[in-house]
Amino acid sequence: MRFGWRWLVVSSMMVAAMAAGAETRPQYGGAVHVAMRGAPASLDPVELDRADVVQAESDSFAQRSLTMLMFDTLVTAGENGRVQPGLAESWQASQGNQHWQLRIRSGVKFHDGTMLSAEVAAAALRAANPAWNVNAAGDSVVIELGGPEPELLEELALARNAIVKRNPESTPSGTGPFRVVDWQPGKKLTLAANEDCWRGRPFLDTIEIEMGKSFREQMTALELGKADLVEVAPEQTHLFSQNQFSQNRDAQAGHRLASSVPVELLALVFARDAASPDEKLLREALAWSVERGSIKSVLLQGAGQPSASLLPNWMSGYGFVFQAGADLARARQAREQVHTAPTWTIGYGDADPVDRLLAERIALNARDAGLSLQPSSAANADLRLVRIPLASADPWIALASVATLAGMPAGKTRGAVEELYAAELAVLAPQRVIPLFHLPVSYAAAGTLRNWGVRPDGSWTLADAWLEGKP
Amino acid sequence: MRRAVYNLAIPNTILKPASRAIRRTPSLHRAGRLCCALVGLALAAHAADWSGPERQLASKIFAVTGTGVITLTVENRSSLGKRDSEVIQNGLRSALESAGVHFARPDRATSRAVTAEATAVKISLSENSTSYVWVAEIRQSAGEPIVVMVSSLRPQSAIAGRESVPLSLRKSPLWTQEDPILDVAVLEESTAPTRIAVLDAEKVAIYRLTAGKWQQEQALEIAHPRPWPRDLRGRLILARDHLLDVYLPGVVCRSSGGVPVTLSCHESDDPWPLIPAALSGGSFSVFPGPESNAVAVPAVGAFYAPMRNFFTGALTPGVGKLTTVSKFYSAAVLPRDKSLLWLIAATDGHVHMVDGTSDQAVTFAWGSDLASVKTPCGSGWQVLATSSEEADGDWVRAFEFPDRDPVAVSGAVDFSGGVITALWTEAKGDTAVAVVRNRETGSYDAFRLAVACSQ
Repeated sequence: MRFGWRWLVVSSMMVAAMAAGAETRPQYGGAVHVAMRGAPASLDPVELDRADVVQAESDSFAQRSLTMLMFDTLVTAGENGRVQPGLAESWQASQGNQHWQLRIRSGVKFHDGTMLSAEVAAAALRAANPAWNVNAAGDSVVIELGGPEPELLEELALARNAIVKRNPESTPSGTGPFRVVDWQPGKKLTLAANEDCWRGRPFLDTIEIEMGKSFREQMTALELGKADLVEVAPEQTHLFSQNQFSQNRDAQAGHRLASSVPVELLALVFARDAASPDEKLLREALAWSVERGSIKSVLLQGAGQPSASLLPNWMSGYGFVFQAGADLARARQAREQVHTAPTWTIGYGDADPVDRLLAERIALNARDAGLSLQPSSAANADLRLVRIPLASADPWIALASVATLAGMPAGKTRGAVEELYAAELAVLAPQRVIPLFHLPVSYAAAGTLRNWGVRPDGSWTLADAWLEGKP
Repeated sequence: MRRAVYNLAIPNTILKPASRAIRRTPSLHRAGRLCCALVGLALAAHAADWSGPERQLASKIFAVTGTGVITLTVENRSSLGKRDSEVIQNGLRSALESAGVHFARPDRATSRAVTAEATAVKISLSENSTSYVWVAEIRQSAGEPIVVMVSSLRPQSAIAGRESVPLSLRKSPLWTQEDPILDVAVLEESTAPTRIAVLDAEKVAIYRLTAGKWQQEQALEIAHPRPWPRDLRGRLILARDHLLDVYLPGVVCRSSGGVPVTLSCHESDDPWPLIPAALSGGSFSVFPGPESNAVAVPAVGAFYAPMRNFFTGALTPGVGKLTTVSKFYSAAVLPRDKSLLWLIAATDGHVHMVDGTSDQAVTFAWGSDLASVKTPCGSGWQVLATSSEEADGDWVRAFEFPDRDPVAVSGAVDFSGGVITALWTEAKGDTAVAVVRNRETGSYDAFRLAVACSQ
């Protein structure tokens, strides 16, 4: 099967076609209600970024979405992958990409009414990147790095590097299209249009975000008209095409589904490095035992791409080299080389019911290979089933983020595709991570919500959205 | 707001061969250096010239297999077409043979003995979001295959030029740029435009066609104290006593008449002209009506909401007795027997038919951008309207109004899936400018739309 750029284009077109119809000009006004599973305790992008991989990391897509509603980054990643000016209107690199100077856009106001300055921007970047040497020089931010960082611009486009003005007594202030009106940590966030937004006032008046809602609760809210934009579990997306998710066919008819390219890695991550060659063999046996194909068909309802690579094929171009098919004979062969195998606990998050089913299925597969896995929701499992959001569409940044979240160092020397392949092999070599699937991120919206979209990083955007029939 | 300066290109990536196989022997190092040199060739090569990456991959394979016998399979996993795939497959075979690799004879390739001796090379033509990626999996024994690969930047996807349907509406490209285009005005032309002004959020750029190439004459910065609204719109209006006026939300600019051109901008809520001077101020009849039924088309201005993307509905001097209509995005005028019919694309989603005494809201399958053109075709006046259906892309079609309902008089002109962001009548009144955002590239394309009678 061919799966690659063409699929990406089709997927992107689907997003564009479904979410960005432009037959009429955008209309101003209205309130949009959003529901999400994540329940962040802070709105500070740096705090959001500190989420532990073991804890609800899948919420990061929602966290990125929230961040980019309230804050801006110095540069942004365009639809075509090229970096675009943001709060920085120009930049220059020198000394072999170790010295970067970014000129800050003038006339930009924070939500608290103060002006954006190079000093504030530098302070924000220092807080997010303690290892960087960041200073203000006139109207520019100067970043001095210990080594060449040709991908610095892609790094700066990440939500965690949003420019934040931190106020000791209140919520952090940004320059984004919406400002905070009410914030109940972990429960509800109310945003209002930033009338002075440097990109222009957004079309929507307000956005109300309900947090901590399960997929089922979100779908019910969409069906009842209580939510305009909700998250959809990968295994539920097929229901949209089959018109099955709702008893109310008329209500469903106007709903729109948009999915990203696969930007989430579902993987098994061991808590520690293999202690011996025997343990490595057992991990190898486990990797060969997992029947990804049947798991996709049954538990994921056809969603996602079985994968034995960390990076999806659309990102690397070589993902198919890693064999994702189960090989029970090979698994048993590896298992038989070890005299005794311990019983491992396989942990899963309790936020998503399908994770427990996945863990149980993997345990069954492992048993066929002579391994003993005990599913557990406890936090201190030997290995865990985790969902890792890929940090960027840039393969080097994505690989580094996966390595970091899995507790491994990742070389960041950017090079040709063969070097990327070598770097990925190096991350996989300790057998700390067993990739299983690459999953898309899906959202559903009411038919009246127009021009919303899914970014390449899997987050949703409402900055240019509008509600039909509001004026 | 300060004008953005051109950004430096993202520094080129450093291309270094790093195959594990290549690291093993000095000869492989040499091959690696050859590969490195070839990468540059590959990147510079045109998409149709695959010789660079072919030689590069062949060299890497040879570095592993030496002059031994191989069996070769090639699988296309990319968006390359069958023809390109076959061309590459042949090219790879030639490059491998040139490098010294021997192929198992076709008549013996399926022999079990030969297959066991030969090195199996499986090449996959793959791709990622930016490059073609060709991967060779070389299996010399029962162990893990050695993997080598090359990449070559994909060309910007060529946009297939779709022929318009049989039509009386033709489009011709005027200008393309990355930044959103708000309007384009043709300043000079012979058989085709030779000098144009392009309006975007920060400037009016004047270009002249010299020796077949457009060269920028001037860039006139637009000063605006407040941020622009989203969905920014703007108009260029050619003037008789100076070059042009610029209308933007809450800002009006006036150019000088001399050379070099200067532009003076100030905050203003002056009304925007709804139709160009060539269409107003005169008397026009609707063919084939009697000349005595000619009606005068007065100049009408409309006030634009400075922080929004629509007109407030306040008109000056008004249409007949009506000085206020619904808030609207665009308007077009059609002379009728002894009267004028204004069509207003209102923000409520309806088209309002305003004839000076009544304001009737109707629902047409139109979008929110309308423009009128006066041509020698049909009844002499047409309304160009954008599509309303959410489809693969926007289109424009010409309509006439024999009575109260629109009749399509041209085929639909589409824009290869693009989204129309502006539609304005040009200064002479017989053509319109459509600005389209290209969904694939994100760039903005301006087209001239002209009604052709003979189609």
